[in-house]
Amino acid sequence: MSHAIEIPEFDPALIARYDVAGPRYTSYPTAPHFRADFDERALRAAIRASNEEPIPRPLSLYVHVPFCVSPCFYCGCNRIITRDVGKADRYLERLYREIELVAKLFDRDRQVTQLHFGGGTPNFLDLARMQELMDVLARHFSFGNGHGREFGIEIDPRFADAGYIRGLGELGFNRISVGIQDFDPAVQQAVNRIQSVAQTREVLESARASGFRSASVDLIYGLPRQTVEGFERTLDEVAALAPDRVAVYAYAHLPEMFKAQRQIKAGELPDPATRLALIGRALARLGEAGYAYVGMDHFARADDELVAAQRAGTLQRNFQGYSTHGECDIVGLGVSAIGRIGDSYSQSARDLTGYYAALDNGRLPVARGLSLDADDLVRREAIGQLMCHGELDMPAFGEQHQLVFAEYFAAELGRLRALAGDGLVTLDEHRIRVTPRGRLLLRIVAMCFDAYLGRASSPARFSRAI
Amino acid sequence: MSESLVEAALQPGADVSTTDDAPDFCRSCALASVCAMVGYGKPELSPLHGLMEHLGPYRPGETVFRQGDSFDAVFAVRSGLVKTRQLDSQGREHVLGFFLPGEVIGLDAIYPNRFPCDAVALDDSQFCRFPFPAMSALATHQPAVQRHLFRLISRQLGMAWVMVGDHSADERLAAFLVNLGERYAARGFPETHFRLCMSRSDIANYLSLAAETVSRTLTRFRAQSLIEIRGHVLHLCDTPRLRELGRKLLAA
Repeated sequence: MSHAIEIPEFDPALIARYDVAGPRYTSYPTAPHFRADFDERALRAAIRASNEEPIPRPLSLYVHVPFCVSPCFYCGCNRIITRDVGKADRYLERLYREIELVAKLFDRDRQVTQLHFGGGTPNFLDLARMQELMDVLARHFSFGNGHGREFGIEIDPRFADAGYIRGLGELGFNRISVGIQDFDPAVQQAVNRIQSVAQTREVLESARASGFRSASVDLIYGLPRQTVEGFERTLDEVAALAPDRVAVYAYAHLPEMFKAQRQIKAGELPDPATRLALIGRALARLGEAGYAYVGMDHFARADDELVAAQRAGTLQRNFQGYSTHGECDIVGLGVSAIGRIGDSYSQSARDLTGYYAALDNGRLPVARGLSLDADDLVRREAIGQLMCHGELDMPAFGEQHQLVFAEYFAAELGRLRALAGDGLVTLDEHRIRVTPRGRLLLRIVAMCFDAYLGRASSPARFSRAI
Repeated sequence: MSESLVEAALQPGADVSTTDDAPDFCRSCALASVCAMVGYGKPELSPLHGLMEHLGPYRPGETVFRQGDSFDAVFAVRSGLVKTRQLDSQGREHVLGFFLPGEVIGLDAIYPNRFPCDAVALDDSQFCRFPFPAMSALATHQPAVQRHLFRLISRQLGMAWVMVGDHSADERLAAFLVNLGERYAARGFPETHFRLCMSRSDIANYLSLAAETVSRTLTRFRAQSLIEIRGHVLHLCDTPRLRELGRKLLAA
């Protein structure tokens, strides 16, 4: 039913006009609005309530491995640069403690259907440590028989070979996400990430040979020294590597927030016109190579289950982008990890000191979070529908949430009408539809429903829309 | 299980719409006719004004009365949801029933003059409290009130829902859902669309099933298109088939 499968229309002038900072809505409310008064007690209560639903949701585990061997200068992730594997062991000790503490709060019949390792660099851990970590997870959570489960891991191909990937396959991983960013040597040098096509290919081919069901790669546009010609060559290489999914993220230069970015010379960043040309080329080239645009930063092969879920109207937003497992409660494990349990979000301490201190005292390391109120829930649903399916049936939505859409969202509809004037959406009595012109500006459309924007006290800082 | 209270209809001409901010609630309450008969809401007409008082809201988990407390009043649920339960000598909980808005708790305490169970709010809940001495005094003067109370009590006795029999999980759960729908309908709420707000462990305890069995059975009902369920929001899609499944228990 979803009309979002349409090809987006690339209008550089329009996009330039809407080039404002905005959230990516991997959660709503967004993480900057999490509150420090959401404590361990609140998290325990949220988990207890989630166990008591008539049919408790299955679990999706997110495990954060914060270590990286060397700093990529564009990175805004929470990570620690080190070559000392001893640090990993001290971390794993606490992570195991957290797994033990958290897992026993969930009823045993709640199966883990999804698992994702992110970082940092998850492959900072060697196979022996990976094996141990998976054993600990399997011992404390219910992993089920493996049928239909989705175990993914982010891999930096500079530090993984074919044998390593095969080993991960044997541990049960069946999805791999590989960072590329750009193959252009000039760009790689400017961002301190020298990675050959051959290294990348070895990892992807080995994943396929080891029975991984899906491979995705990440690119970034807007990096220093990036040129349209260089990025086109990268896109050609990517098409030849033939991953199932491609994410093309926009580089957000916020050196005052992310220390590593201070290594990037602002003068080497592409100008706005070049940034637009880069994303324009990505859209065109990936389209030619047979990828459908799912939304936001994400592309997938036309036969990928993300595209199928979008057609079926079951696609959901999550912290990794889009997911077919939106029905899960997400359990965040590790430093800075974010969870989504029932109607709550929670994030662990973002620094190792805080994370270790909590666990060394037998406490859950939750540092902040939010219990969503009725208004948050309704808005999360509206934003999710628009981000995932590009349309919203107002009477059906109103009936489901027991509200009169035109009254409850009168101000929001006013804002949408302004966007309709620019052709980003169409509006009639029943339906909000994002047009092909609006598809690249989804977050601008979603922002109409964000009750936290424009509040004087808003602490949020977001990257640009494109 | 609690009474189904079909006799909730108001006396002709009785005006309780001024009694509080929830006239719809009063219209469907099991004790509405009692209130109407004492002229509640028209204090100048009634020497018994002040018989009833509003209580709450109670937060989830708070106790309205406890097992062993001396019996002094019955309570009509104004809003929310309440469970009654007993704790055995090992401290194990036995859920006896769930009470919806418009239903009455405490009737089973008239003899031996002590509450035989705890009543615990499961949701934000409010009550109308009827002091029993005043109520029985009223009953001696007003035969209609007395008849009404007797009906409520005997109704509740007849509803003693025996869950110990040899019934399958499907039968128990189907009967439970259909019964809830009927009781919501009797209170003027939709029969096939309601919040199943009680926890799955309370449902499981009440039906003498394991919590996992409750969820597995609901999952199966969903796969068979008997229900739709999202979080706590339940839709009975095929009440006739559910009723057929729960036939033995519903007839009891």
